[in-house]
Amino acid sequence: MDFQERLKTLTEGAKYDVACTSSGVNRKGKRGMIGSADACGICHSFTADGRCISLLKTLINNYCEYDCQYCVNRRSSDIPRASMQPHEVADLTMQFYRRNYIEGLFLSSAVIKNPDYTMEMLIKTLSLLRGEYRFNGYIHVKAIPGSDEKLIQKLGQLADRMSINIELPSERSLTHLAPDKSKPAIITPMNYVKNGIIQNKEEMKKFKNTVDFVPAGQSTQLIVGATPEADSRIVHLAQGLYKNYKLRRVFYSAYIPVGNDTLLPAAPIPTFDTGTGLIHKEYGPLLLREHRLYQADFLLRFYGFTAGEMFKNEEENLSLHIDPKCHWALRNLEKFPVEVNTADYMTLLRVPGIGQISAERIVKARRVSKLNFDNLKKMGIVLKRARYFITCNGKMAEKINFQPESIELRLTDNNAVGPYSQMTLSDVASA
Amino acid sequence: MSQAHDTKSTSVQTERKLVKREVDILFDGTFEGFLCVVYALYYEGIVPLSIQAIDEYQPSITQEEQFIITDNDRAHKVEKAIVKKISHDIARRVAYAFLADTTDRYVNILNYIILGFKVGHMVDSHMQHDFVLRVHKFAREVGREAHKLTGFCRFAETAQGIYYCAITPVHHVLSILAEHFSDRMIDQSWIIHDKRHNKAVVYNGYDYTFVEVSPDSEPPVLAGNEEFIQNLWVTYFNTLAIEARKNPKLHRQMLPIRYRGNMVEFSKHI
Repeated sequence: MDFQERLKTLTEGAKYDVACTSSGVNRKGKRGMIGSADACGICHSFTADGRCISLLKTLINNYCEYDCQYCVNRRSSDIPRASMQPHEVADLTMQFYRRNYIEGLFLSSAVIKNPDYTMEMLIKTLSLLRGEYRFNGYIHVKAIPGSDEKLIQKLGQLADRMSINIELPSERSLTHLAPDKSKPAIITPMNYVKNGIIQNKEEMKKFKNTVDFVPAGQSTQLIVGATPEADSRIVHLAQGLYKNYKLRRVFYSAYIPVGNDTLLPAAPIPTFDTGTGLIHKEYGPLLLREHRLYQADFLLRFYGFTAGEMFKNEEENLSLHIDPKCHWALRNLEKFPVEVNTADYMTLLRVPGIGQISAERIVKARRVSKLNFDNLKKMGIVLKRARYFITCNGKMAEKINFQPESIELRLTDNNAVGPYSQMTLSDVASA
Repeated sequence: MSQAHDTKSTSVQTERKLVKREVDILFDGTFEGFLCVVYALYYEGIVPLSIQAIDEYQPSITQEEQFIITDNDRAHKVEKAIVKKISHDIARRVAYAFLADTTDRYVNILNYIILGFKVGHMVDSHMQHDFVLRVHKFAREVGREAHKLTGFCRFAETAQGIYYCAITPVHHVLSILAEHFSDRMIDQSWIIHDKRHNKAVVYNGYDYTFVEVSPDSEPPVLAGNEEFIQNLWVTYFNTLAIEARKNPKLHRQMLPIRYRGNMVEFSKHI
């Protein structure tokens, strides 16, 4: 296989890992080296499915010893196999980086021989890149579950971000679909990384020449839709990961079947509608579910919500018809309407349609003058959803029937569910 | 929003009207030059009918015109005053807004600075004034385009070993990009060519300089292995998309068509 073919094969194997962020660390350029890092992250391109490309996302090899049913690289999968040498990976990264194609490297690998051997291959590649090639850009690396603590320590000093994918949201699913992995094999390295970061921060305070350890933090990925776990379980799990393991991000990946497999839901027949530009019809509801999980994730991280609040009254799944913040607001209508001229920042953040930027603008602008609906509009606050939940100087927007059913009907995003399912009156009644 | 885009119809809010002379103010078009305009208007109380850069000036017989000479000391004084009397963030916002490619930016920024001198860092709270919102909008647009281009710039290695990149931005973002890439590609010679404004920034591995480029300049000859690397990148790019998730609308939102002409993964088919 020539190099181009190998790159293609290995990229095929890496692309279902959705994380491609380059954020979390600021690092200036250094003379004698090449590269820098920007805490806000830089997207260098976007794939046809609208996902950002910021890193060269590839595998060292895809000859996997494991047989995880959800994974394209599993031992039993009938796909071409290839590998790249450490210097080939390093060279390609540099060539792409110098042309500003990428922000850095996202390196992963199938498990060859055993976890420790695979980790050593990853370390070898990154050492080459950081050492001989003097690369100072962003590196995200996958740690291999079940590998030795010392190797994780070493790898963490070469990378900016490390991730260990949980993939399946329950232990039952894990034993069922990934017989070679176990919960402790995943959780233990996550703990190493968490403690390593805390320890590193302490050392930084004491010693001048401490080497950074995973400065951009760790992340993980959960597959959605391959196993029967409900959204409530997934969001609670994410909350626990943010709280107990100090993760920077949890990514959610709608399960797209690769190859034939009796253990998992089969692939729908692909019918991509190029005419209307609509996303794949059969995957629509699942992709929408993934989207709702990301919205819930943002509520956890930036809006002061807890998982418990989102799943009151025994609700199992997030609504597909309405976003989680609206959903919460409608269930807690007694907390509204909110007066924009007096409500504090955290209360404003809970208004559907008002995000961090809008809330900040409101807080700033009301210092000098009372705000009315016209002012809000001029300031660029989107009132499509917010107008149902706020008052300006005690007045609500015109023509609003402040009843949950009435608001819900107006806010239901029919386009989001669109062609996949038509909402019926009984849906509204039961929602 | 329907602001008056015509500079001449927008009045300048200045309190110190020492000399009541209504003139067209001209300056050399540089940021320093603009700061000298601020100096002249704020400290000497001239009321401008319009503010225009000399190379965009359209003279009219009925009006008086005055050219403000750029004086670096004065410019520096104004810059320091903005930082001291208003804030660092606002000095930065002014600098960004100045790079916007719109005709009404000068008057709006001037009003913004003058209000800032009056109310200090609270100027951003005065969103009832259109010019505050306008300046925010300019700065935001410039910042956004520059940020996007820090990712979307595509360099190609020339036969001389210099990395060349062509862009066609709406705003004058070259100086922001120069700052970014001189830090990142610190040991590499590169050129970023703004084909819309016929300017370029040239970095030699140590310093960068801005140059004017003729619109009919020839594209550079590329290095021998450039084709090979480009093919690898296009292969990588095409492989990464997941067919089942295709979403052209989202794609256009995240990566507007106008950027794609200069990006090898869209212009090259293999």
